[in-house]
Amino acid sequence: MSTIPTIVVTPAAAADAYGRVDRGEQGSSGGDFGATLQRALQGAVDSFHAADAKTVEALNGGGNLTDVVTALSRAELTLQTATAVRDRVVQAYQDIIKMPI
Amino acid sequence: MDLDKALDIAASGMDAQTTRLRVIAENLANQDSTGSTAGADPYRRKTITFENRLDQQIGADTVRVKQVGRDASEFPQRYDPSNPAANSAGYVKLPNVNSMAEMMDMREAERSYNANLAVMQTSRGMLTRTIGLLK
Repeated sequence: MSTIPTIVVTPAAAADAYGRVDRGEQGSSGGDFGATLQRALQGAVDSFHAADAKTVEALNGGGNLTDVVTALSRAELTLQTATAVRDRVVQAYQDIIKMPI
Repeated sequence: MDLDKALDIAASGMDAQTTRLRVIAENLANQDSTGSTAGADPYRRKTITFENRLDQQIGADTVRVKQVGRDASEFPQRYDPSNPAANSAGYVKLPNVNSMAEMMDMREAERSYNANLAVMQTSRGMLTRTIGLLK
């Protein structure tokens, strides 16, 4: 006969968790992570703008090609980082959503 | 980030070598440019020197062109009385450009440019592979 695993939740722990949610407490790094993500995305957008400006400048005959290459590769690397982080975040979110409760 | 700085430093090196190649092109193109009046000086060979510069923005040593100077060596002379630049004795001053030296200089510029390009490719590859770890 197989045993069914059970999750033991004591009333005191449940009350404590409920109280925390009720008071609107966030995780220790909840707000920080959002701010970090926003900063990272802002940095990505800034690097795209820089790459754009350099490319337009070079196409108009000014500037030099190496500046365009460095600006574009920086933007490309930032985009790769941003998409990789996004994929990880979405995957973690889905993992949590699919978690059987 | 150091890999990011490496990209900038390599770019500055490529820039400097581009200017060097430009100077070499000027020298090679003008190796037959004599003066236009009798006894006038011909084209004087240009030289280029580099220096390191601390880039405050990225906090690393980059390279830049220090000075595009002139080669003060003597002009070779050739007997050619029909040339408009010939002096009263019939000698024409020729530019002090040595095409062999310029060719070697060009090779050096090319090698240096390629080395910087390799640095760029390597640091880019390292960055890309590091980002690949996230996936």
